[in-house]
Amino acid sequence: MSALAVSNGVLWLLVLVLTAVVLALVRQVGVLHERIAPAGALMLKRGLAVGEPAPVMEVTDLEGLPHRLGSARSDGRSTLLLFVSPSCPVCKALLAAVKSSRRDERGWMDVILASDGDPGEQREFVRAQGLEGIPYVVSAALGLAYQVSRLPFAALLDEQGVLRARGLVNSREHLESLFEAKRLGVASLQEYFSGAA
Amino acid sequence: MIDPAVGALLAGAFALLFVSAAFHKLVDLRAFTETFRAYAVVPQGLAWLAPAVPLLELTVGAGLLAGASRTGAAASGVALLLTYAGAIGINLARGRRDLACGCGGANDQRPIAAWMVWRNLLLAALLAATLRPWLARPLDAADAVTIGAGTAVAALLYMSVDGVLGRLMPRTALWRGSR
Repeated sequence: MSALAVSNGVLWLLVLVLTAVVLALVRQVGVLHERIAPAGALMLKRGLAVGEPAPVMEVTDLEGLPHRLGSARSDGRSTLLLFVSPSCPVCKALLAAVKSSRRDERGWMDVILASDGDPGEQREFVRAQGLEGIPYVVSAALGLAYQVSRLPFAALLDEQGVLRARGLVNSREHLESLFEAKRLGVASLQEYFSGAA
Repeated sequence: MIDPAVGALLAGAFALLFVSAAFHKLVDLRAFTETFRAYAVVPQGLAWLAPAVPLLELTVGAGLLAGASRTGAAASGVALLLTYAGAIGINLARGRRDLACGCGGANDQRPIAAWMVWRNLLLAALLAATLRPWLARPLDAADAVTIGAGTAVAALLYMSVDGVLGRLMPRTALWRGSR
């Protein structure tokens, strides 16, 4: 066999391997895309529809300050409503992420914590978790209006009072996915993938 | 004039493409009939013609492999690819960017896109090259390697390019526009 024929055979072999590797890499990038999908909070079937105006509600926090939820805001800021409870262990774990997100996203978003039950117990919870400075609303009506069935539950309202994202949030990733959902304008993971597929 | 090794490589790669396309459609003929209807390029009353498409693809794929039927099969294949490009182009012009392309089987719900038109035009041009007269030259063992390995590499590259353009880039575009 001439040197040229050998060289040709070896080159074909290498090109074959190379293209197989390229295909495998393309598949891997696809898998990575799915893993780091930016919209991830679990949507519960029932409840308010994303993209619809949230109900306008007047509430008062533990400090006695009034808050008007669901109406358009003149300062152009969004509101993250986070439903927690002193009796929910996941909520305690999530609060660290909430505090740092509140700091990171303070340019465009306010955080309001919501709960219901005995105000004395709630005050104790605020003190123990170091939540002073974050408005804390105790209102059963609020939970009913957003049809909160499981905690911790978050709802993101934009500057117009329109619900932009909502869902059960168990981790920092879930919480941040709500911000991504608003930035991208997609309501849920399902919608994100059907749009991109 | 086209070298017979290059010609056979092209014929082999396109035979693979057409047979696999036909296979994907035949596996779930009902879904393909839906897609065919959704394209709305033939009157709705003619939707029963849908199974003819994979059968035609199968015939073209098989025909490309035999010397006697190759020219006819290649010409039909070019016509088929141009028809697909036209059908996608017409629907894009209608503004239907959510139409599932039906390119790779029933579970391929990717929407049609402009790059698919260009892909089909390029494929049609490549297949049309086999219609030119083939150089008379005896084929030896080295040619067998060229044809065999070349066909495999072409198939792998086709799948890679399809993955990058069809699956990764739409998602990356979503990310880029996000901030």
